[in-house]
Amino acid sequence: MSATVAPDKILKELADLWVSLGKQGEGDGSAGVLRACSMTLLVLAEEADDLMSLGETIAALMPEHPARAIVVRLIGGNERALTERVYSQCWMPFGQRRQICCEQIELMASDASLEDLPSVVLPLAVPDLPLILWCRTARILSMPGFYRISAMARKVVVDSGQVPDAVAAILRMAVVGQSNVLLGDLSWTRLTRWREMLSQLFENPDYLSHLPKISEVRVTFGPGHEVTARYMGIWITNSLSDVGVPAHLNVTSAPDGPSLRVELDGDQVHVELVREEDRLVITVNGLSHCTNLPQPTDYLLMREELSIVRPDPVFDRTLASAAAHAYPTEP
Amino acid sequence: MSIQNPFQDPLRFERRVPECVVVIFGANGDLTKRKLMPALYRLAYDRRLSAGFAVVGISRTAMGDDQFREKMLESVKQFSEDTKFDEDVWDAFAAGLFYVAGDIGDKDLYERLAKRLAEIETTRRAGGNVMFYLSTQPSQYAAIALGLGAAGMGKGSGWRRLVVEKPFGHDLASARELSDRLHEVFNESDVYRIDHYLGKETVQNILAFRFGNGIFEPLWNRRYVNHVQITAAESIGVEGRGAYYQEAGALADMIQNHLLQVMATIAMEPSASFRATSVRDERSKLLRSIRSMKPDEILKNTVPGQYGPARIGGQEVPGFRQEPGVNPESQTDTYASATFFVENWRWAGVPFYVRTGKRLPKRVTEIAIQFNQAPLRIFEDSDGAASAPNLLIVRIQPEEGISLKFLSKTPGAGMKLRPVSMDFNYGSSFGERSPSAYETLLLDAIIGDATLYTRQDMVEASWTVVEPIQTVWRNTKYNFPNYAAGTWGPAAADDMLAQRGHVWRKP
Repeated sequence: MSATVAPDKILKELADLWVSLGKQGEGDGSAGVLRACSMTLLVLAEEADDLMSLGETIAALMPEHPARAIVVRLIGGNERALTERVYSQCWMPFGQRRQICCEQIELMASDASLEDLPSVVLPLAVPDLPLILWCRTARILSMPGFYRISAMARKVVVDSGQVPDAVAAILRMAVVGQSNVLLGDLSWTRLTRWREMLSQLFENPDYLSHLPKISEVRVTFGPGHEVTARYMGIWITNSLSDVGVPAHLNVTSAPDGPSLRVELDGDQVHVELVREEDRLVITVNGLSHCTNLPQPTDYLLMREELSIVRPDPVFDRTLASAAAHAYPTEP
Repeated sequence: MSIQNPFQDPLRFERRVPECVVVIFGANGDLTKRKLMPALYRLAYDRRLSAGFAVVGISRTAMGDDQFREKMLESVKQFSEDTKFDEDVWDAFAAGLFYVAGDIGDKDLYERLAKRLAEIETTRRAGGNVMFYLSTQPSQYAAIALGLGAAGMGKGSGWRRLVVEKPFGHDLASARELSDRLHEVFNESDVYRIDHYLGKETVQNILAFRFGNGIFEPLWNRRYVNHVQITAAESIGVEGRGAYYQEAGALADMIQNHLLQVMATIAMEPSASFRATSVRDERSKLLRSIRSMKPDEILKNTVPGQYGPARIGGQEVPGFRQEPGVNPESQTDTYASATFFVENWRWAGVPFYVRTGKRLPKRVTEIAIQFNQAPLRIFEDSDGAASAPNLLIVRIQPEEGISLKFLSKTPGAGMKLRPVSMDFNYGSSFGERSPSAYETLLLDAIIGDATLYTRQDMVEASWTVVEPIQTVWRNTKYNFPNYAAGTWGPAAADDMLAQRGHVWRKP
């Protein structure tokens, strides 16, 4: 394994790749390739991560978020080691003659060489476009080199659900959020459709008129969904408090129950949202209806996060409140 | 005190879509089958419609709700071009489809409709909001609006909106007359005149391109722009619609509405905000700035045309006068071109060439902005390549996108220049599907965003420009046909540009 990686060499390989793709286009009579790029996507993944699945996710993201993707596989170990491989992701849009290609660079990095990573990634990042860091492993959040890497990014996307201890996860997220980068948490992204359905429900003036009667919010969660549950509960109570409706929040674990159940209760009003396989069942005072709610895949979650490269005040506020709740209350 | 929905997150949630019932007059017609129902289904598929959303179809054909649902299912399956059919989504959507049969002139129809709407309100809780979509003959618009008014449906517990398809009148007087009738029941702010061109992604992208970027706006004026060409070409003929088309003609069918709206979008002043009123005010102001021509100017600056028979791709193609239902002596324009001038400081003296026609060589709609030449030519130009103009081309269909043509050095020794094109293709730069114009416009109307809809003053301004041309053309006997099917129109249209040293592009 070589100990170093030369960014200039990688950039030269990329340039050669484009020339060769262009020549292929000339040869087969098609209209050549169109290079598209709207960001640099830096992905940090464990060596054991399913690379095939990760590759498919990145490829699926490309049509909407064309990017130069730099995938860094963390191979552990104390030996300083970095290696690279360059290739492209191309696809032919339906009904068109010209294929679109995005660049992909793969790096292998030992834990010890993580500190060297910024010196390789910075020259490889596409100029003038945002760099988004997607941490597929929560382990990296506590590694010493993390802040040097995250400092390169405009936005860092993490899945706090991977951290076994929910309180520790929220506190860790709050710390990352205090650095000078935008933060996305896939545990929050998983809630978007739930939150949207709840919001849509109260677009109906009839239901909206019952809102002031709500006095309790209950969120129950299954294994691995505690952070999500806490976010949901905090977001609801914060929103209610904004319109002068104080509600008590109760977040409890239900090991045998569904992944998430949300209930809003009060005098003559009971609203419940619960997932049943690929459907979200919404019940208001005994009247139920279902809506399609596919399981959130990495592709769907990242697609949403990549489209938000600006401050997210609702999430920031929810995270701050969740962190405040996570700390022991001062006497 | 009324309470606002506190559960908002505009960064992540789609735009808020209120509950409503859409009532479609002409529910058995082509537009409903081909465009409206597939667009509504797609919106349901994308979870853009509210839980209580419902559609009431109205036409003369006797049928029940279930038969109507069956028919609409066929339409959705046949005409949804890039939407996967999902049985569960359809079932939920179809549960909100209802049908009322009746004659538009019959008072009883409106009473039955009112009763049906009240029932739907009870079962689906649609918030009392109703959008009436008139997909009928234009001659029936006023009767429907008045019928709705007489039955008390012009007002209700929620909002009421009226969507009308073009044409909005056949001249200035009839456009005003139609607006007056509609206003007897609906306020102008509740009347949504649909122009599907404005719903196209690229037409909206013109606003993003012009007002979201700092580099183009300084060039966007008479100092740098030499002229503008707007082309909307169709390769097909009248396709069995000869009888209708011979009453309308290309000028009224395309230029009066779609192309003048496109021209207004490309030439309008920046609006103070992206609010509907601001954008529409600027568009309207531009339309009012287009010089209305006198008869002698019309003869020099406009060219009507009509296609004659030809052989295209080994196949005999009939001329317009040979089409079924068309008068063999017809003087209808199947091609129309005009040179417009905008009388304001930004555009004074810059010609806007607009053309549209049937049976032209290809189906293409685009805007080409030709910039002035570099003031001094310092490069060798033996083959004329080095004097090719800079062009900015906004393609509206078939492949939506933007191209910039500029000169570049040919690789190798010597300094030889050739034009190259830098392309932004909407479909391939973003692999994601763009919503159809009807999806965009229907959703906008439900939400109450009229930015992409045409206002009465815009319709009147357009007719003020077009009506004098129509009058001159009607009073002049032209030697039609004057272009063969499959060509780029009459020679006189080339002469019209040649007067100013310009030539039509061949898109």
